[in-house]
Amino acid sequence: MLMSTRMVSRSILMKLSTNKCNKSHEVANSPGHRSVKPVAWCLGILAASFFLFLFLGFASVPRPKVYVKKLLPNGHYQLIVDNRLYVIKGVCYNPIPIGQTHDYDWWSDPNKPWLVDGKLMQKMGINTVRLYAAGEDPVKVRAVIRDLYNNFGIRTVMGNWLGYWQYPCPLYGNQAFQEKVKQDVLGMVELYKDEPGILFWVLGNENNYSCLGQIRPWTSEEVLKEPDPLKKNQMRAQIYYSFVNDLAKEIHKIDFNHPVAMGNGELVGLEYAKKHSPDIDIIACVIYRGKTFGNLFNSLKMTFDRPVFLAEFGADAYDAFENREDQNMQAFFLESQWQQIYKNLANNKDGAGNCLGGTMFEWSDEWWKHNDASPETWVIQDSESNWSNPAYYFDIKAKENKNMNEEWFGIVALSQEMQDGISKRVPRKAYYVIREFWKHPNLNTKKKIKYE
Amino acid sequence: MKKFLVLVLLLCLAVPAFAAKEQGNKASEFIVYIDKTSPDNHFVPSGWMGDYGDIKMNDQAMDSPHSGSTCIQFDYSGKKTQNNGWAGVYWQNPANNWGSKKGGFDLTGMTKLTFWARGAKGGEILQKVVVGGVGMEPKAAYPDSAKIEMGPVELTDSWKQYTINLAGKDLSSISGGFGWVTTSDLNPNGATFYIDDIKFEADASMKPEGRKQESVPFYVYSDSRSASNHFIPSGWMPNAATGKDLKFEAASKEDPYLGDTCMKIQYQDVSGNRWAGIYWQNPANNWGNVDGGFDLSKAAKLTFWARGAKGGERIEEFKAGGIMGEYSDSDVASIGPVILNKDWTQYTIDLKGKDMSYISGGFCWATNVDVNPDGVTFYLDEIKYE
Repeated sequence: MLMSTRMVSRSILMKLSTNKCNKSHEVANSPGHRSVKPVAWCLGILAASFFLFLFLGFASVPRPKVYVKKLLPNGHYQLIVDNRLYVIKGVCYNPIPIGQTHDYDWWSDPNKPWLVDGKLMQKMGINTVRLYAAGEDPVKVRAVIRDLYNNFGIRTVMGNWLGYWQYPCPLYGNQAFQEKVKQDVLGMVELYKDEPGILFWVLGNENNYSCLGQIRPWTSEEVLKEPDPLKKNQMRAQIYYSFVNDLAKEIHKIDFNHPVAMGNGELVGLEYAKKHSPDIDIIACVIYRGKTFGNLFNSLKMTFDRPVFLAEFGADAYDAFENREDQNMQAFFLESQWQQIYKNLANNKDGAGNCLGGTMFEWSDEWWKHNDASPETWVIQDSESNWSNPAYYFDIKAKENKNMNEEWFGIVALSQEMQDGISKRVPRKAYYVIREFWKHPNLNTKKKIKYE
Repeated sequence: MKKFLVLVLLLCLAVPAFAAKEQGNKASEFIVYIDKTSPDNHFVPSGWMGDYGDIKMNDQAMDSPHSGSTCIQFDYSGKKTQNNGWAGVYWQNPANNWGSKKGGFDLTGMTKLTFWARGAKGGEILQKVVVGGVGMEPKAAYPDSAKIEMGPVELTDSWKQYTINLAGKDLSSISGGFGWVTTSDLNPNGATFYIDDIKFEADASMKPEGRKQESVPFYVYSDSRSASNHFIPSGWMPNAATGKDLKFEAASKEDPYLGDTCMKIQYQDVSGNRWAGIYWQNPANNWGNVDGGFDLSKAAKLTFWARGAKGGERIEEFKAGGIMGEYSDSDVASIGPVILNKDWTQYTIDLKGKDMSYISGGFCWATNVDVNPDGVTFYLDEIKYE
């Protein structure tokens, strides 16, 4: 959007200066005039126009507060915020207290946990939080965004689920469903686009998996008519990615100042996004690949050349095999992941140059996650795992290889001891390790990180 | 004078000690096995693995040894006596040491292991030969410091020397001096072969091997007996109960697409897992826990042939790469869902833009009971990177 505006302005200026030049040529070529002086005069006008163009081009054309800059000639990407380079050093934020579940309205918590958390985040070096969706009350949402930004300089990446969790499933092929989601998204943008703390928007999280029927499967009359399962997937992907693109276009119309990112589980389906989502500015990937992101950055470049924001990644701090908390394990994985993020920022010759940073999952433990259906378990930090990921290999020999402990992903643990009306935050080792990494990034990946 | 005498005495004591140490470091070879009665043998062929009932050993065979008066003869029947489909023998120190005993040797300075081998007929295939690796997985009290594998090895009917490059490897503690493994698929009618003169050598000309880029075509599966098969269909998913759900024949003769055999797979959900799949791995059972696999950077695609027994069978995914672990595959590429035809059909997984420089999971398929409520039977053949 910015580029096109600027180009229009520049082309108008070019046209003006060209006209002037033509006019002077007309004068110069009229009878009775010597030819040398007018040519010099014309060149002078041309030079003046050029400097005027430069001045106006760079000074008067408004730039968005936040935008993605594509560097030439290497094609790398940078996020520019208030005319300065911005590397997203962030964390996913969802401060559900002990004893509560995901639908708890923490925005209304009179103890304002974000003030305690923001202070700790600032000390760690965090500059961004990712919120999955805005709360119900705009006044309270604004208060959180402002408190984090005004007090701690922390900006907010604001998300929207795009109706992913609506009953019975996200019907992206249904016009009424699309309209409802659209109103919700545009409402969010209207409400918060003028908040100085807003960094950009994220549409969806891992919604692409629903196109493959893996999670929250949906269909439409058109898809049902197709017998080939591969074509069904392709049709759903086309519907979904086209819809997200429409949302991005609508957002761009009402918000000049913030890019639009699209949440995506892994890189699955992005070959369709390339075709159907050209108006998306950033890919917000959810990635859990252990100590490495593998070929993610180069692969994205090949599939759909957009900057990548690692919207969710990380490691839990519980060894499901040894049955004990293991802060070293979490710190090991996170440091390795941040190394790769930094390696793939723009202008690093060893990387793909398309990474803008990331928000690790997550700031604080959530004690409800293992069993959402049993309130009595929300007051216990459950150490049982219900999924397996061999990329987190230290505890992969746990029973049934289930090694991922949902309730132990926090950079800070929650203590049952209360402080300022909320659970006391206890920073884990990762807090200090990543703080040091951000202060003195060590990109020497050849030197293996030692797991103590 | 007194001082001079003390100095001379010290020199007399120190020089022989220094000379002895130097001699130890300069040892140019270290024998695993050279002859039945040789006092230089340091390891014992005591570690029988897998279908040990399929193995017969004569450690004083006099049938044309490569040198000396004896060699070791192995008769492998391939009958799957213990129902594993594979068997092998480790030379251990001390005998029967699987890492529970403090044994073995510090072989630092050795840069290769050489051995001589021949088949009774020629064409016998050892799936791999190995140095070290005892007690490493699962980790025992005294694990070897390294594991180096080479293979497959197709034997000739005359003696031939083989070399395993050990340059750059940590040989500070090796209890498993040498070993071989083979499978009934590779030798369906069994195999008789001879091994002789196994020794470590310090050869300064050996250099550490980088990962070489494999040339294409590079086969996952060509034919059941082919030495060019590079991956093993060992990764049965999702768990041990999958054994109840799958029947797998690596040497089916039911209308192979090319050659003598194809692979036949039957899936029926008996365990209640509701889904199943197989990864072709290198080495076998490698879920990213060991440094294995191949550099397949030169490959632009993976192709394979498949057919269903009836036609209409649905496979959710065919995949190349994607193993995750300490040694994760460098990338993943897949196609699916695929509805199989009754006739052989070639499928292609596009690898353009993929980083195939480190691939332990050469091929994979997966399906489930929801899309195949009555189970499926299907066939695969000629799986290769091109």
